Amino acid sequence: MALPLAYPLRSLVHRRLRTGLTVAVVALVVIATTLFLALVSSLRRTLVSTGSPENLIVLRKGSDNDGSSQLPLEAYQTLRFVDGIAKNGEGEPLVSPELVVQPFFFRPDGGRENVLVRGVESVSLAVHDEVKIVEGRMVEPSQGEAVLGRGVALRYANRGIGSEMKFGRRTWKVVGILESGGSSFESEVWVDARDLAADAKRPIPYSGMRVKVAPGADRDALIRRIGDDPRWALEAKPETEYYAKQAESANTLYGLVVGLAVLAGIGAVFGATNTMYASVQARIAEIGTLRALGFSRASVLIAFLVESVALAALGLVVGVLVAWPLGLAVSKALGGIGFGAATFSTNVITLRVGPFDVVVAAALAAAIGLAGGLAPAWRASHLRPVEALRKG
Amino acid sequence: MKFFPFIWRNLMRNKLRSLLTGGAIALAIALVCILRTMPAGFDYFLEQLATNTRISVHNTAGIVYSMPYAYRARVKAVPGVVDAVSWTWFGGAVDKDDGVTFPSFSVDADSIGVVFGDLKFAPETLEDFRSHRNGALVGRQTLKKYGWKPGDEVTLSSLVWPLELTFRISGEIPADVDPRFWFQREYFEQALREKGVSFDQAGMIWARVDDAEKVPAVMRQIDEMFRNSEAETTTETEKSFFQNFFGNLEGFITVILIVTALVTLCIVFIAANTASMAVRERLRELAVLKAIGFHWRLLFVTLVAEAALLSTVAGSVGAGLSVGLTSMLRTAAGWNQQLGPLSGFVMTNVLIVQALFLAFFIGILSGVVPSFGAARRSVAATLREVF
Amino acid sequence: MIELRNVSRYYQRGADEVHALEHVSLEIPAGRFVALMGPSGSGKSTLLNILAGLDRPSEGQVSVAGRKLADLSEDELAAFRAAHMGFVFQFFNLIPVFSARENVELPLLLTHLKKAERRARADTALRIVGLSERAGHMPSELSGGEQQRTAIARAIVTDPEIVVGDEPTGDLDAKNAEEVLGLLRTLKQEFGKTVVIVTHDPRAERYVDEVFLLDKGVFMGSRPGGAAGAAPAAPAHGAAGAHP
Repeated sequence: MALPLAYPLRSLVHRRLRTGLTVAVVALVVIATTLFLALVSSLRRTLVSTGSPENLIVLRKGSDNDGSSQLPLEAYQTLRFVDGIAKNGEGEPLVSPELVVQPFFFRPDGGRENVLVRGVESVSLAVHDEVKIVEGRMVEPSQGEAVLGRGVALRYANRGIGSEMKFGRRTWKVVGILESGGSSFESEVWVDARDLAADAKRPIPYSGMRVKVAPGADRDALIRRIGDDPRWALEAKPETEYYAKQAESANTLYGLVVGLAVLAGIGAVFGATNTMYASVQARIAEIGTLRALGFSRASVLIAFLVESVALAALGLVVGVLVAWPLGLAVSKALGGIGFGAATFSTNVITLRVGPFDVVVAAALAAAIGLAGGLAPAWRASHLRPVEALRKG
Repeated sequence: MKFFPFIWRNLMRNKLRSLLTGGAIALAIALVCILRTMPAGFDYFLEQLATNTRISVHNTAGIVYSMPYAYRARVKAVPGVVDAVSWTWFGGAVDKDDGVTFPSFSVDADSIGVVFGDLKFAPETLEDFRSHRNGALVGRQTLKKYGWKPGDEVTLSSLVWPLELTFRISGEIPADVDPRFWFQREYFEQALREKGVSFDQAGMIWARVDDAEKVPAVMRQIDEMFRNSEAETTTETEKSFFQNFFGNLEGFITVILIVTALVTLCIVFIAANTASMAVRERLRELAVLKAIGFHWRLLFVTLVAEAALLSTVAGSVGAGLSVGLTSMLRTAAGWNQQLGPLSGFVMTNVLIVQALFLAFFIGILSGVVPSFGAARRSVAATLREVF
Repeated sequence: MIELRNVSRYYQRGADEVHALEHVSLEIPAGRFVALMGPSGSGKSTLLNILAGLDRPSEGQVSVAGRKLADLSEDELAAFRAAHMGFVFQFFNLIPVFSARENVELPLLLTHLKKAERRARADTALRIVGLSERAGHMPSELSGGEQQRTAIARAIVTDPEIVVGDEPTGDLDAKNAEEVLGLLRTLKQEFGKTVVIVTHDPRAERYVDEVFLLDKGVFMGSRPGGAAGAAPAAPAHGAAGAHP
């Protein structure tokens, strides 16, 4: 028969200081790792969620990103009629030619950073169906207007709809805000392609294009058709693949953070083990009594394991309850957290602790509770009643 | 310190507890050290590479906007300017699939040694660079990463230009944390000409001013020179440039600092927990010692010393551990695209000393509270309670 | 009820081998109240632990309630103790986080009784020891005597045949000690339990049926206790010619 749950739980309450300190240790580890994990997984999620599986991104061969490629006008005009490309209701091909430039944006706090500005045509919204204008409206051609991604809007909070923003060589008028389900388009600013080409003095008005694959068409065949065309050295690949590649550097970062979390976790295990050993030591007479009364070794083992898991669980709860608002407060105070030091454009992340992060934290806490409690619980259960009673 | 054996014996009394506490503290200190290398790497990068007589000139609109190459000659002509060198981003990759793993630029061969002379190039290196059209000056970090040596031939594919160029390694850029790759602009221009592109732009211009006092005036003059032209410029000191360039990392650095603080607090709690457990178990002994005649202040000091000793020893183990771990990290994750100079992961001596002081201080702090109460308790009260 | 045959117990202490018990043979019939007495280090506690199934002898045989203890595994011994024995210790050994009633209920958790039944039995046990009004209090709120009486209630709540006590009055003042001894006497008298205590409290003699004497691990024989009363003078049990 097992010892009642009340036994380990009440024993925790009995030694408030020791319990409190250990819960604090676990909670701090949980907060630190949750914040860090949330940060990096927010970044990953942003990068990975970008792109539609139905879209292809066409860039110059050998170019690894939007901003460093060039797309000849003729190539666009010819390729948009290739077989396999989706068309809209009026028979127009769903091909969005775009120009990507990364000018400086000057932050309210005085810093500056590269932001990805995408020069687009009106067809762009039909091709990027995850992008939606949620406030205001889309830009009109040649009006010097700009639509801000949600992340940019938050970061440059003093620039709402109707205000002016200076970037590149001129000022632009903000007419709308776009959202894209949290993907990296929200870290971009969209303007009219011709306006951008004029401002950035690009002789070739487009850097690349996005192509929507016709439903039911053979995507790989289309990719080949575009890539094999001898007139231009272009390369098409699925949007999701393109962004997934960018996410790889974030994956390394995630690995780093997980490694650090493991390190912290092991430290916490030592801390928890320490506490549990002391707990066992202080209750040797008690344990001897229980064994003398007839409670089995297993029941004593489980009771002490429950105690250490309960400690860790408490730490988890406190940790998550603190980490969640803390993350939001920090990213609000900082205007979002930027990444992409060496990629020439900033991805803005909000530190949101997601359900997956909590799951990871819970796993960590469970490991701490079990690993930390195992050795002491084993010791407690294998105490010979005689010795235990003698020592007591 | 004639009480050292006494203190040591007390720590050894419960070896398991001392080991577990020490282990926890060591790991936590290692963690703090690793975290600290990130913003420290940034500071170190700024300090190592930035002098106060080198200034940068770039297009006001942004780094990706170019300027006419002709600007270089005009900057050079400004009084006070010793020499000026242009930089143009090449975006070369060793392996296309890995992408850009270090920054690469085409530069003016004759000026690079002057403008960046403070890096103290070996004369043979510069000689080799000047005499070989396809020579390359490579940062130490990159050389180490790929195991390249002077004389080696290396091919980079540009992810920005339609070029694949082969270079000869002339020598290293002698700075600890520097991944940069510099080659001749001539070579670059020629390769483009062969593709039918005539290139008369430059990405950035760096200039060396002969006297630090003259810098603000020179900077103003340069920007004035190009105001209202097709490419307006912003001139700033090198330090300011890099600070701004990596400015968007500030948010991340803040998060790192928060996490570091949390882990430090954690250490305090771990150490305090152990100290309070140890003290509680020894109440009887303390009472007896006081009855014998030891003053409570002495007992207090030995208790605190015990906590501090454990903490400091554990801290040094942790610092040592972090040296090993950061070197592993450098190999695995060095120069991460998202982190830039934060991913140098270099444990400097300063950081090690800081870690030891931190551990010592935490030991003292965590030992004080539980020990104070225990040492001050009256003998009679303790004996009554315990016996 | 309890039978020891040629029981010896040796163990290592540092480099020496200590002989706690040397060839002890004795019998305790059912329903007896027996005291094990002797100077410090005589092995009486060791003897108690062995007959209670808390320790195993190095040599010899132990039978309790007809079972040979050597035949039982650790877990079977635990179950045996739960079923047949009640324990009272010198320092009460109550679980500090449980109230008096919960402490008394503890042994019942090893049975299949439902909560209501367990409650009822615990309350009965508490009534027997006279602690009904203090049932909800925590051990820290009870006096020494009350704690020991709670322990006795816990010892009898499963209605075991045997109650074993190691210095049950060791930590009590005169009045409480007499009360506890009286309670233990009641257990034998009214409930027919076999009660075995280890003690060096001279007051105990008046309450017990028989006193077993031990010296340096050797059984020195027995004499009737003060409460032997109507019982015939017990013949000396055990090996009279115990060697030094």
